[in-house]
Amino acid sequence: MVSAMSEQVESLSTIKARVNDVEVARTVPSRTTLAQFLRDDLGLTGTKVSCELQVCGVCSVLVDGKPVSACTYLAADIDGHRVETVEGLSKDGVLHPLQAAFVENFALQCGFCTPGFLMMAKSLLARNPDPDEAEIKEYLDGNICRCTGYEPIVHAVQDAARRMQQESA
Amino acid sequence: MLPPFAIRRPTRLADAIALINDDCVPYWGGTELLLAMKMGLLRAEALVDLKAIAELEGIRREGDSLVIGAGVSHDEIACNDLVREHANLLAVAEATVGNARVRAQGTIGGNLCFAEPRSDVATALIALDATVRLISAEGARTLSVAEFILGPYWTQRESTELLVDVSIPLPAAVGVYLKFQTVERPTVAVAAVRRGVAGVRIVIGAVSEVPVVLDRDSISEVDAAAVAADIEPIPDLTGSVRYKRHVTEVYIRRAIKGLNGVGNV
Repeated sequence: MVSAMSEQVESLSTIKARVNDVEVARTVPSRTTLAQFLRDDLGLTGTKVSCELQVCGVCSVLVDGKPVSACTYLAADIDGHRVETVEGLSKDGVLHPLQAAFVENFALQCGFCTPGFLMMAKSLLARNPDPDEAEIKEYLDGNICRCTGYEPIVHAVQDAARRMQQESA
Repeated sequence: MLPPFAIRRPTRLADAIALINDDCVPYWGGTELLLAMKMGLLRAEALVDLKAIAELEGIRREGDSLVIGAGVSHDEIACNDLVREHANLLAVAEATVGNARVRAQGTIGGNLCFAEPRSDVATALIALDATVRLISAEGARTLSVAEFILGPYWTQRESTELLVDVSIPLPAAVGVYLKFQTVERPTVAVAAVRRGVAGVRIVIGAVSEVPVVLDRDSISEVDAAAVAADIEPIPDLTGSVRYKRHVTEVYIRRAIKGLNGVGNV
């Protein structure tokens, strides 16, 4: 009985990380996914969960600037690292150029896929500030949208790229 | 929901090798391991996280080989200058593995050890005559990638062995990598490379349980229709046996056409 009980003891992992420029420290079960950690422990529900197979892209977040599927990524692995989610995009109530471009180009309807598209687009523009249409489609082909038909999303990313280049010019 | 497990984080290669066994499994990006665990196909007492082990990282030239650490991600390989210069076929294949997140998270070593039959990586590496190096407490051994992969999700790796790196002999073969894909993994992938003066190697991946390798003395000896009739496609949601044979034939023809456009070696 005692040994059976001891086998049930959940292994824990301690996490100290920077999430959207805020230091967080938590101890969670080692099996906790990053999506569970963000949504359930930190209350950052902007990151969505759908297929849980890394296919649909709604849980896309950035770890040290690299895109990951938070549904299939262990929260324990962000220890010592930097995480960006959709909540970190706007600053002082001002939308990020990507968010503004998505709104103005009608690149969302229901909005469920939008946080994932925004984070993937941020990752794309960081490595390629001026992507052509084919490069945008290629990079975002792991994200699914049932509303827009994708064209407005591609236009929004091109628009955001222009805005961000003007800002930095 | 994942089943419970512990995480071990060795920092030395010897410590990692001492830890791994049937119940304590190697872990890096998790793109395949965590999925298998979620689906209840695999259960482990502990994940042995290899990310702190320097020997598993990096891409370097060692004599007549290009050596890629098992922990290098698909995206790093696709963007690496040494790979693009010396083994561009691999860079081309790696650039379209899964999606951008899988390429950032997943590693070449994990991909090979998992032996998903629709792996882009194995198809390209077999075309390039690549080998893998496995280390255990008993010693090291080197196998060709073609020998290493025994079947779907089945390799020569023993549970106490760690795949340390992948080597591509240089100069690597020059050729083309083409695939037809409507979902996350290819329906069929064809790598075609020149061998010797007039010879050709064609590797047909993703369509059957293991990649099919054809070596011919000249391109004109490749009969795409006969090869396609001979393979054994796995029917699934992306197509029936008959359909996949048809796509295979078309892609072999296209690969050969592409190979004719690639500079002589």
